[in-house]
Amino acid sequence: MSETWLAWTLIVGMGLVAFLTRAVFILPGSHLKLPATAERVLRYAPAAALMAIVVPDLAMPQGALSISIGNPKLVAGLVAFGLAAATRSILLTIVGGMLVLTLIR
Amino acid sequence: MQRAQISALGEGALAAAPQLIGIVPWGMVAGVAMVAAGLTQGQAVAMSVLVFAGSAQLAVLPLFIAKAPLWVMYATALVVNLRYVIYSAVLAPHFEHLSRPWRALLSYVMVDGVFALFAGKFRPGDASPQKHWYFLGGSLVMWTAWQIASCLGIFAGALIPREWSLEFTATLALIAVLIPLLLDRAVVCAALAAGAVALAAAKWPLNLGLLAAIAVGVAVGLAVSRLAPGKPRREEEGG
Repeated sequence: MSETWLAWTLIVGMGLVAFLTRAVFILPGSHLKLPATAERVLRYAPAAALMAIVVPDLAMPQGALSISIGNPKLVAGLVAFGLAAATRSILLTIVGGMLVLTLIR
Repeated sequence: MQRAQISALGEGALAAAPQLIGIVPWGMVAGVAMVAAGLTQGQAVAMSVLVFAGSAQLAVLPLFIAKAPLWVMYATALVVNLRYVIYSAVLAPHFEHLSRPWRALLSYVMVDGVFALFAGKFRPGDASPQKHWYFLGGSLVMWTAWQIASCLGIFAGALIPREWSLEFTATLALIAVLIPLLLDRAVVCAALAAGAVALAAAKWPLNLGLLAAIAVGVAVGLAVSRLAPGKPRREEEGG
């Protein structure tokens, strides 16, 4: 598949996924209740997914594991975790993380 | 439109307005990150309008850069969007008397902040006849701000040189989204386990490591909540 087609297939498919997750109970107009276990799974899955995307991006910048101060992305990412926990501000987290990354490089 | 409908629409819009402080930079980051990941400006605008889900968009971009298979990217978007399934279940009884196009529209514009406002204001069984106008008013404010901010990011992002590694803003934004999710010990354990498995399984073909990491994370979260069902507490550490 060419780059262009891949991108468009991704965009349209994600559009469907985003709509369906939002519409799943509203559109049929049902009175279905979520079981408690399902609700817990739905709570853990997004946090697990985000962490599973973030961690390799920080710790394996060139595809090889690099857990050291010499890895700018890892240092910048850890600073960003601290900033996010302390300030709860998306903007400060991003600005701080990018600043650290740029300074180390 | 009747006066009561306009007034509910305006009330929702006003209630959502303070959230603009959050959504505007968030939309700009998504715009910049989409272009930095290699989408054309037209594709990025289309994604912003069709998907309209910042964390799912940002979560997929590192996978798009790494040339992950399509179905892995769809699965990731689905998992990151699972919170909407909960919102959908909560909102469904409020909107079930509406026409199908109305229900489709309210589903499409749903965002976290307006859901939280709405669920706080209208309890289950609330019979306010104009509550969908309130939801629409708040949602339209967020939708419009998101699209404008995203377009600003898309067109500004194209002017910024590649060496700035702006695609890293997507990862940083995900960290900022992740932290507030870590509300109790079980979620923290789920996230840490997922991070560890994602590292260990990073070389698995077809990015299956990512899905394995999510599965293990959910299993660990469930196990921790079973074994140590302590009261939820705020937990700041994340990695």
